[in-house]
Amino acid sequence: MSENHSHDPIQEGPEVGEFEVLEAAIRELSIEKGLFSSEDHRRFSEWAESIGPSKGSQLVAKAWLDPDFKRQLLEDATEASKAVGVDWLDPTGTGTPSDYTFFYVLENTPQVHNMIVCTLCSCYPRPVLGMSPDWYRTPNYRRRLVRRPREVLAEFGLHFPSDVEVRVHDSNQKSRFMVMPMRPEGTEGWTEDQLAAIVTRDTMIGVALPQADWTAEKAPSQVGGPQ
Amino acid sequence: MTKYQIGDRVTVKDATSLFHTRTQAFVRGHTGVVVEYRPEWVIPEDEAWDRLENGRTEPFYVVRFLQTDLWDPYTGFDVDTLETECSERWLAPAKDEA
Repeated sequence: MSENHSHDPIQEGPEVGEFEVLEAAIRELSIEKGLFSSEDHRRFSEWAESIGPSKGSQLVAKAWLDPDFKRQLLEDATEASKAVGVDWLDPTGTGTPSDYTFFYVLENTPQVHNMIVCTLCSCYPRPVLGMSPDWYRTPNYRRRLVRRPREVLAEFGLHFPSDVEVRVHDSNQKSRFMVMPMRPEGTEGWTEDQLAAIVTRDTMIGVALPQADWTAEKAPSQVGGPQ
Repeated sequence: MTKYQIGDRVTVKDATSLFHTRTQAFVRGHTGVVVEYRPEWVIPEDEAWDRLENGRTEPFYVVRFLQTDLWDPYTGFDVDTLETECSERWLAPAKDEA
């Protein structure tokens, strides 16, 4: 076996992929035709890439505090998102909703742990969670989450017993999903802002659980993690 | 009235897809339960060609499968499930199961 394996130097992939060339060509043609300016494009990219998961965190924190809001969020998340300033029918404020989309919030319970993936590409609830993490878009995560979800969870440090249903949601069509994790112990009496701070991106993808002593805002060394 | 109701058992057709589809191969031929319903929209097979005006529209259904019905061997536990969405043309009533 081993005498056949290659010792060639590790190669970097091509610098520019086919779709990047296509995007650049269409963008430059659009600018030449006056459909938008390069400054418009830069501003939009800067804005789109700066959307973080804070809207999703707020939705979860509100639901933890207000049973009526929680009911509304689970029944009609598209409508309930307006409470945090997100309009799914006009998410960019530019009048160009990409297409028709349903937004659903998946409630974790002691019996069911939800996780999201897009096996086809990289569909992600961007209006509430911002840009997806790099690993979410990799073929590795996409194929393994549907085939071996417990192994993937274990790699993220999560283990559930055999009576907890691990439920994988593939956003392969028009539905977009976000996980509503369970409120952890040690958060009694907390304000909405305090609660929102511990509802980090990964907890709404379903690869982590919120913890009272962990927010994504602080470096791990500041909260007793690895130095 | 949609063709399938929440709770119906359905089998994903083991059909070929010449050009574009969003129905994943790993669910074709497998049986699950309808758990959600989505209103009609242009099917991806037509939307892919930008036929939004005159494409064929159909309801969509979220179908829940037991992971142990999809994969052999499945390395998790028997309670684990997977949900995916199919347009109506990809579904057939599940055959009577013994």
